[in-house]
Amino acid sequence: MTDANAQIQETITQNDVVLFMKGTKSMPQCGFSSRVAGVLNYMGVEFADVNVLADDGIRQGIKEFSEWPTIPQLYVKGEFIGGCDIITEMTLSGELDTMFEENGVTYDKDAAEKIRAANG
Amino acid sequence: MPVSEQIEQRLRAAFAPRELQVVDDSESHRGHAGFQEGGESHFNVRIRAEAFVGQSRIARHRAVHKAIGPDVIGRIHALAIDVDA
Repeated sequence: MTDANAQIQETITQNDVVLFMKGTKSMPQCGFSSRVAGVLNYMGVEFADVNVLADDGIRQGIKEFSEWPTIPQLYVKGEFIGGCDIITEMTLSGELDTMFEENGVTYDKDAAEKIRAANG
Repeated sequence: MPVSEQIEQRLRAAFAPRELQVVDDSESHRGHAGFQEGGESHFNVRIRAEAFVGQSRIARHRAVHKAIGPDVIGRIHALAIDVDA
């Protein structure tokens, strides 16, 4: 296992919700990362953000780790959930709520409903 | 061949979709990270094919990534995928 792999494994093991993104949750550097971080922030989900732009090893490593070529990437309880398109679809369909509930992740249901009402 | 045509050809060959749209959306990302003069950086794909029946979202996206191929994926900056059976 490479260093990047070990580091990624450790991060997703130690944090229930992890977003690998370009930039940080308070200052995203890409529209796609910004969208997913924005949804999680708005829904009051506690998550660790990993800025792939700050570490080229992680930036390449995460793509190999998940066999997924794009950033952002969301992990919950060590499982890869999806990228921007999938998280957006799951937010609007309510599947994201279910997934958080099944994994014991706290989130604001009213906020999720507001997102759906505004994008319905 | 434009990248959008290349993506379209590969997706047609892989999935025989009944609906397929590949849009070079680069211009709407002008000034953002990854934008390059002349476009061909940001793409939107909308695909509907029987081939995706019974597959999870992640499996569908992975199949699309695979069909487009690492050579093309490695050249572009962003790829938004809307995939359904």
